[in-house]
Amino acid sequence: MSAASSLPYRLRPNKAVDRELFLSLLTRLAPSLSLEKYQYIGLGGPFLEDFRLVHARLGVSRMACVETELEVHKRQLFNRPIASIECVHATLEDYLDGQEFEAPAIIWFDYTEPKGITTQIERFARTIGTVPLGSVLRVTLNANPESLGKPTTNEISVEVDDSASADRKQKPTTQEWRLARFKERVGHLFPSGLPADGMTHKNYGLSLLRVLKLAVEKEALNFRDRRMVWALATHYKDGQAMVTAALVVCAPNERSIDDLLQGWEFHSIPDFPHRLDLPALSTLERLTMESSEDVRAKLSFDLPKSDMGEDPFLVFRKFYRIYPHFSRVEL
Amino acid sequence: MQEQMERLPASLTLKRFHAESTPMTKPTADHAEASPTKQFFVSMRTRDINLADAILDLLDNCLDGALRLANGNSVDYALHFVKIELTADRFSIEDNCGGIPREVAKNYAFKMGREPDDDRDSDTETIGMYGVGMKRAIFKMGREALVRTRYGDDTFEVPITSAWLNAKGWEPLPINEPTEAREKLAEPGTVIHVHELYEGVSRHFANEAFENEVRTAISEHFTMFLQLGLKVELNGKPVEPVLVEVLVSKRDDGPAPFVFQKTIDDVLVSITVGLNTARSLGTDNEDDADFEGDRSSATAGWTVLCNDRAVIVGDKSRLTGWGDGIPLYHPQFAIITGIIEFRSKRADKLPVTTTKRALDTSSNVWLESLVKMKEGMRVWISYTNQWKNHPRADQSNYWEDARPLPLKAAIAAVVSRDAVRKTGDQVEFNPQKARVLPEPPGKTPSSRRIVFSRPIEEIRLVSKMLFDVDDEKPGIIGEKCFELTLTKAKKRDG
Repeated sequence: MSAASSLPYRLRPNKAVDRELFLSLLTRLAPSLSLEKYQYIGLGGPFLEDFRLVHARLGVSRMACVETELEVHKRQLFNRPIASIECVHATLEDYLDGQEFEAPAIIWFDYTEPKGITTQIERFARTIGTVPLGSVLRVTLNANPESLGKPTTNEISVEVDDSASADRKQKPTTQEWRLARFKERVGHLFPSGLPADGMTHKNYGLSLLRVLKLAVEKEALNFRDRRMVWALATHYKDGQAMVTAALVVCAPNERSIDDLLQGWEFHSIPDFPHRLDLPALSTLERLTMESSEDVRAKLSFDLPKSDMGEDPFLVFRKFYRIYPHFSRVEL
Repeated sequence: MQEQMERLPASLTLKRFHAESTPMTKPTADHAEASPTKQFFVSMRTRDINLADAILDLLDNCLDGALRLANGNSVDYALHFVKIELTADRFSIEDNCGGIPREVAKNYAFKMGREPDDDRDSDTETIGMYGVGMKRAIFKMGREALVRTRYGDDTFEVPITSAWLNAKGWEPLPINEPTEAREKLAEPGTVIHVHELYEGVSRHFANEAFENEVRTAISEHFTMFLQLGLKVELNGKPVEPVLVEVLVSKRDDGPAPFVFQKTIDDVLVSITVGLNTARSLGTDNEDDADFEGDRSSATAGWTVLCNDRAVIVGDKSRLTGWGDGIPLYHPQFAIITGIIEFRSKRADKLPVTTTKRALDTSSNVWLESLVKMKEGMRVWISYTNQWKNHPRADQSNYWEDARPLPLKAAIAAVVSRDAVRKTGDQVEFNPQKARVLPEPPGKTPSSRRIVFSRPIEEIRLVSKMLFDVDDEKPGIIGEKCFELTLTKAKKRDG
């Protein structure tokens, strides 16, 4: 677990919305799947916030928190909010390899490291065939295209519309350079025909989700006793860009989960993830935006667009219900 | 007599036995049925090929059609299209590549196997020689099919029904003519529809990963045709060609690929082996280097072209020489790309087998080529070995003016160099012998590699101490640690 991921949620509002969406998904599935009987497996960071919330909202008590770093693991044992959380000092992969699943599980592969992204994707895909029916699997992947490496300035050329560097024919653009690295990295999972435009900050997350979907679909061909129902996909950025996707492992003829998800306002699939790009707002702005029909008329200024280029008003309208409001508490 | 028989070879003894026993029997009106059943034929034939290859076979047929249409002249592929649709309940492929002549349909096209008197293509560069592709592909997929074709102005269709498939006899298939306008085709070409797909086939056709696999296979195997302008659509989306290229420096003394060209047994053989990237060798991603499984890009390894069709793409097995007198393929070699092309008007001279996606490895032309392929590979294996022990030395500077080129252009770019050896119709360039390959600075033959693992917490601690940041690359930290200790060792020693 990298240092960045131990930043508290209050400094990462988009991640907080992302987590709230996942909890909302689980809450929607809980009555049909009896989630309280499930085992929850994830990476908790030093404070195990996700574990506390999963327990509080769903009543799940069998939980395992897996951590590779010894000092963080010791800290988790200290901070453990619920006694039934088993804290394990291991890699998530090793822990899962040692598990015999008796009951369905909720597993969150909360990867943050961009290195080994293909191993992460393949590991997630492989798990769909090893868990009991009804299990809910979720993965978070680092979606920063710069993680593919940085070309030196003499390696690349630039092109904007119809003007380009003199050496454009010999040298790739940054996006083309990244695309070649991406192809090397994901190998046979590369989506055929993916253009270099898929390597921009805006689109890289989508390309990664496409690879994830192909890996899962490919694995699913091996099993006739189950099919995958995609439930939630997100793309957000607080510092590092991340994508997530969650699915439910269903029996082939079981359609009730599909119906349940179709009717959910936040249902999303990897081809069309939610772009969580919420504006930073003052309390007054937020209250005004929540209580007004015509927000733009009330606010006499524009809100700045972020890197992901989403319209802040539309994003706020979509997610205001679960937009966190953090404030200072003196203890 | 008995003695004589004992001295005869066993086979002759058997013949004599038959000869002597024949007069003892008399013919009856009964016959023992010896023709193959359709079920047997269908199940045996379709096992020979996987589903994606069956689709590629149909695409091969379309291209053979375009070649025949050109009648010996060069084909303008930009005039042709192939549209393929895969869905859970049907398959279709449509082309405008000339269609099937009625006589061919009546006598050959629907026969299970090719007749010896079928002399189509004797002077064109097709590789469809066996006449099983279409039937095999159809039977692989489903139980109902319709082949509609227009040759010139003659349009007709041949239905293959499950009733025909289930019937015991080999009744000829009907040839029907259209009665309505919608049953006609706008231009000469062929449409094949397959319905009643088998359960497994239907699951594959509905699966996005399978669609991606087919798309990738088409973009690789038909890359030359796609580059020449052929339009192939899969589920409404055009297929883009995958470029297989090697780096060639513009400078006469700059790094360049191994090149070989010669005509062997009426087949023009062209070979190039080089680098597909000038990036440092994988050491930036130490964590990725020991992944299980093979994630090298498809263009690494060998691509084998026969008359523009890529028969094999990115092969890293013994087939193309890996592990056969040279090391087995390893991620260290992921930057090596080899391309070999066989070109001949005589399809039977090309080293391909009936499935069109496998090589006839016992043919002379292949064996002779393989020697040169391995020679080219050795050049680059030794190059990657040299640089492996100098992970942080930058080799990309040497390649700065190099550009990626496909086979033909790479050969053209290299043959103008002085160091090329030309004897008769043979052309050869060996970059190692021509001394144009960069060598790592401070290279000593005694260099050895040190590799070890430590927990990330400890690496961060050392990184912070040495570099004042906690995320320096583990390799650089290790190297600096060694330097420190080496200085100390030298002091104590001296």
